[in-house]
Amino acid sequence: MPEIKPRIGVFVCHCGKNIAGTVDVAKLAEAASRFPGVVYATHYEYMCSDPGQALLKRAIREQRLTGVVVAACSPSMHEETFRRAAEEAGLNPYLLEVANIREQVSWVHSGPAATRKALQVTRAVVEKVQGNRPLRPAEIGVVRRALVVGGGIAGIQAALDIANAGFEVILVERSPSIGGHMAQLSETFPTLDCSQCILTPKMVEVARHPRIRILAYSEVEEVSGFVGNYRVRIRKKPTYVDPGKCNLCGECAKVCPVRVPNEFDRGLSLRAAIYIPFPQAVPSTYTLDEKNCLGLVPLRCGQCAEVCEAKAIDFDMHEEILEEEVGAIVLATGYELYPKEAMAEYGYGTVPDVIDGLEFERLLSASGPTRGEIRRPSDGKIPKEVVFIQCSGSRDPEHHKPYCSKICCMYTAKHALLYRHAVPDGQAYVFYIDIRAGGKDYEEFVNRAMEEERILYIRGKVAKVFREGEKVVVWGVDTLTGRRVEVRADLVVLAQAIVPSPGTEELARKLRVACGGEGFLKEAHPKLRPLEALTAGVFLAGAAQGPKDIPESVAQASGAAAKVVALLSQPKLEHAPEVAEVEEALCSGCGICAPQCPYGAITVDEVAHVNEILCEGCGTCVAACPSGALTFRNVEDEQILRMVRAALEVADVGV
Amino acid sequence: MSEFEPKVVAFLCRWCASAGADLAGTSRLPYPPNAIPIRVNCSGRVEPQWVVEALKAGADGVLIGGCHPGDCHYVAGNYKTRRRVYLLRKVLAELGIESERVRLEWISATEGARFAQVMAEFVAALKRLGPLHGNGGAR
Amino acid sequence: MRAKLAVYWTGSCGGCDVSFLELGPGLLDVLSQVEIVFWPALVDAKRQDLERLPPRSIDITLVNGVLRTEENAEMVALLREKSRFLGAYGACAHLGGVPALANQGNGILEAVFGPGFRPAPPFPEAPEDTPPDLLPEALPLDEVVPVDFVVPGCPPPAGLIARFFEAALSGGLQPGQVFAEEKALCEECPRVREERRISRVLRPHEVLPDPEKCLLDQGMVCLGPVTRGGCEASCPKAGMPCTGCLGPTPKAGDPALALLSALASLVRAGEEGEAAFPEENRILDGLVDPIGTLYKYAFAKYGRPLRRLARRREEVRA
Repeated sequence: MPEIKPRIGVFVCHCGKNIAGTVDVAKLAEAASRFPGVVYATHYEYMCSDPGQALLKRAIREQRLTGVVVAACSPSMHEETFRRAAEEAGLNPYLLEVANIREQVSWVHSGPAATRKALQVTRAVVEKVQGNRPLRPAEIGVVRRALVVGGGIAGIQAALDIANAGFEVILVERSPSIGGHMAQLSETFPTLDCSQCILTPKMVEVARHPRIRILAYSEVEEVSGFVGNYRVRIRKKPTYVDPGKCNLCGECAKVCPVRVPNEFDRGLSLRAAIYIPFPQAVPSTYTLDEKNCLGLVPLRCGQCAEVCEAKAIDFDMHEEILEEEVGAIVLATGYELYPKEAMAEYGYGTVPDVIDGLEFERLLSASGPTRGEIRRPSDGKIPKEVVFIQCSGSRDPEHHKPYCSKICCMYTAKHALLYRHAVPDGQAYVFYIDIRAGGKDYEEFVNRAMEEERILYIRGKVAKVFREGEKVVVWGVDTLTGRRVEVRADLVVLAQAIVPSPGTEELARKLRVACGGEGFLKEAHPKLRPLEALTAGVFLAGAAQGPKDIPESVAQASGAAAKVVALLSQPKLEHAPEVAEVEEALCSGCGICAPQCPYGAITVDEVAHVNEILCEGCGTCVAACPSGALTFRNVEDEQILRMVRAALEVADVGV
Repeated sequence: MSEFEPKVVAFLCRWCASAGADLAGTSRLPYPPNAIPIRVNCSGRVEPQWVVEALKAGADGVLIGGCHPGDCHYVAGNYKTRRRVYLLRKVLAELGIESERVRLEWISATEGARFAQVMAEFVAALKRLGPLHGNGGAR
Repeated sequence: MRAKLAVYWTGSCGGCDVSFLELGPGLLDVLSQVEIVFWPALVDAKRQDLERLPPRSIDITLVNGVLRTEENAEMVALLREKSRFLGAYGACAHLGGVPALANQGNGILEAVFGPGFRPAPPFPEAPEDTPPDLLPEALPLDEVVPVDFVVPGCPPPAGLIARFFEAALSGGLQPGQVFAEEKALCEECPRVREERRISRVLRPHEVLPDPEKCLLDQGMVCLGPVTRGGCEASCPKAGMPCTGCLGPTPKAGDPALALLSALASLVRAGEEGEAAFPEENRILDGLVDPIGTLYKYAFAKYGRPLRRLARRREEVRA
């Protein structure tokens, strides 16, 4: 290809007196006209004004310019403006560069030195632009379908919002039913709405939605591809029950000889091997839990199938691997409570009448194992003195989790209050470090618990919880009075720390999404991009990203859904073309580049490949590439070296 | 003889250091005019070879400005730069070139004053070191 | 007609001269097609014989060794004049090689004889024969005469020597040709690259490397990623890191700085962040003798300009 002789135009902006007051703009334009490659140089009062842009456009056409340098304010101000003008004049916008002679010259320097530096800066950019190539933004199609992982309230909300905007949604849930932890709750703070009453209509809406496909009892196995074009492998475990045929008669569970702890009731009740987690489960069907069944291959019992009039039970059902294409992914994998084993000092896991917040929710729930009567696990007695311990495992960097789990202050107040409603002659104690009730009507709710319900709030940490006869003894310190406190309670409820649900990190790895130190999914920016992961096209919702209550989870889910809708609504994805590029003839496939990329934009087989859509253009990989096979479009090494050498040459000449 | 005026090449990342330099301008904070600023997307794009070529081409010192740890627009480019500069300075020292001639500074977009101060300090330090190139800097 | 061949050694260990034997039976083929007009290691021809040859009468001249003495410089200038094609053979002529690491110091004689060294006063009558004066610096061939092609290596591997003779004897020599691959050595290295992170930097004697895994991943400073292929990765295959004798890939630039950047990029001490800085530094400090390690062969070509600057600085200060 014959080298085209460069024809560069230089336009020096006065910016009124902002530049011209300090820099000798006439002299700069005159000197620039003699820079190698420059065929036209001029100066004008306001280059960003309409006449200024007209001047630029006319010169591009009349002088047949192959590159343009506008010496003006910072490129962060008007690079867009000038590039658009260049494009209108028929010049590829990436052949225009801005030399910053205002913020970085005229406003900070004075005298001849200012003009000299303006000259250096302009000279350098003139060199750079001669190495620029015309570029076009990369374009790629979008699969107009979203995947939502996790069927809790956040996943439900995200799925509904996306589907209601007109896009298909695949909702993957690991357990047999969607609903998540919210389905386990009794009533919700601060309004004391019945949790299931507000959740189940949404679950039904999901089930009935023509654009939502629920894949329950399923897990994401593998994810490949990139924004707009993800390929997802989903493993659907066999339920051995045909949901289309199951009429929920429940005869199967009655005859099943197996009894195991019921997960939905947090082990406070038993279930059969064939079961429905809760009556309003969606999908509305029984599930045969293979692990606890007496045996399927060979069949050892089979009583359930014998009593099933609907013939819904199919012992030959197999695991399915589904391959789906989606354009965007929402991760809403939720939370779990910090495990019992870790809280030995509070007797958790060893003293039966020490339970966690979710277990207490099940005791409060009208559909729970005690039908809403508060009866303690050990002997079923109604507890007359209950101690609630906040920050159990939270805010304890030495032994447990350093962070605040955020929702416990509120739900503990709710627990104590609901307990007092259920057991009017009972006494509730709350041990707390601080009360964090930031939220609409939250403070008022806690005050109500404290004042109207006469719940005894004790500021201090609990040192030890142990069993003595029928009592659970709590030793603590009231830090306000400095006195030791002993409560001989009937039941202790721990507000366990919130941790990411199991498998979060593994899923994150599959999606190349980062997890923070505590395992919560990491957002792209803690303040400005809280709804998305760094991996383009992956969004975050709910407690998987950090402890959250229901309104916050729902808000984040709707936000993430809006982001997904915005992404899926684009006819094509466009991406800035100033990115890294591989010269394959020089690439040995050493792979040093790939781990430098925070966006997973580089894959390496025989040679490295940069996914132009994913590359954000930092160039860290290019600097790491030892062989020089990776280059950066329009910021090539040779361009930079030309800039450096030319600018230093100017310094030698002086003005 | 006029005082030696060091020549500096400053590679500044777009999101932090160069934005900080812009803020120094907006705030009209004067600093020595010795540096030629070259804006790159990320300090992680800066190659050790650029630094050495700048020194060979006549610079007395090279400044690399990046985002503070934890603030990199591209998550972790600045960490790579830090390690590269750490090794590069070792190599320069072995070759007999004062490692202080290559400086890596974290400057955020809100630190206009800090940018001006870093520039002033660096130029002063280079004046103390004297010219890298033979002629004593007489212009 | 047989091609007229000259082979000359300057500051060389002799390995390059011996390397032709690596061709094995193929050497007979080569010898049958060439006429050796000048090759001090093989045939008895003196400088005067060379001087008597008409200009451009030698078809191909291969120079191995660094240029260290005035005589070296004179001889290669003479050979240049008498040759149609003149090439750098081996890492010393190509890049300066190991002997050019001497350029790190301030004068080789001072380094050898210590700070009190003074040259002897000249003899009243110049003797008939004296050792040649040293050049101020050890130089690669192309700093003294234009070089048409390069057969790189320390010494050049048999495959590349064969490839060179094939091209040269069929009249296919291209100006600027380097008889090695454009892609880096990793292309032909059988070792498996998995982790692509470095948590320690070790010298070869400090580790018994895993036979399958990439040496760089194991903390050895392997110059393979920045060095031209063409040797079938013979050193890495034998458990030794590549030291870069075939020279940098066409776009690597300064191979030491290119590898330095890659190495620093790969170092990880847990999650990246401020807390990891001290440990990262400790890992990087494992690179002792960065000049000798990274610039083993290429110092004269790439490290020397900076060293020169530094030396001038030292002189000005003194």
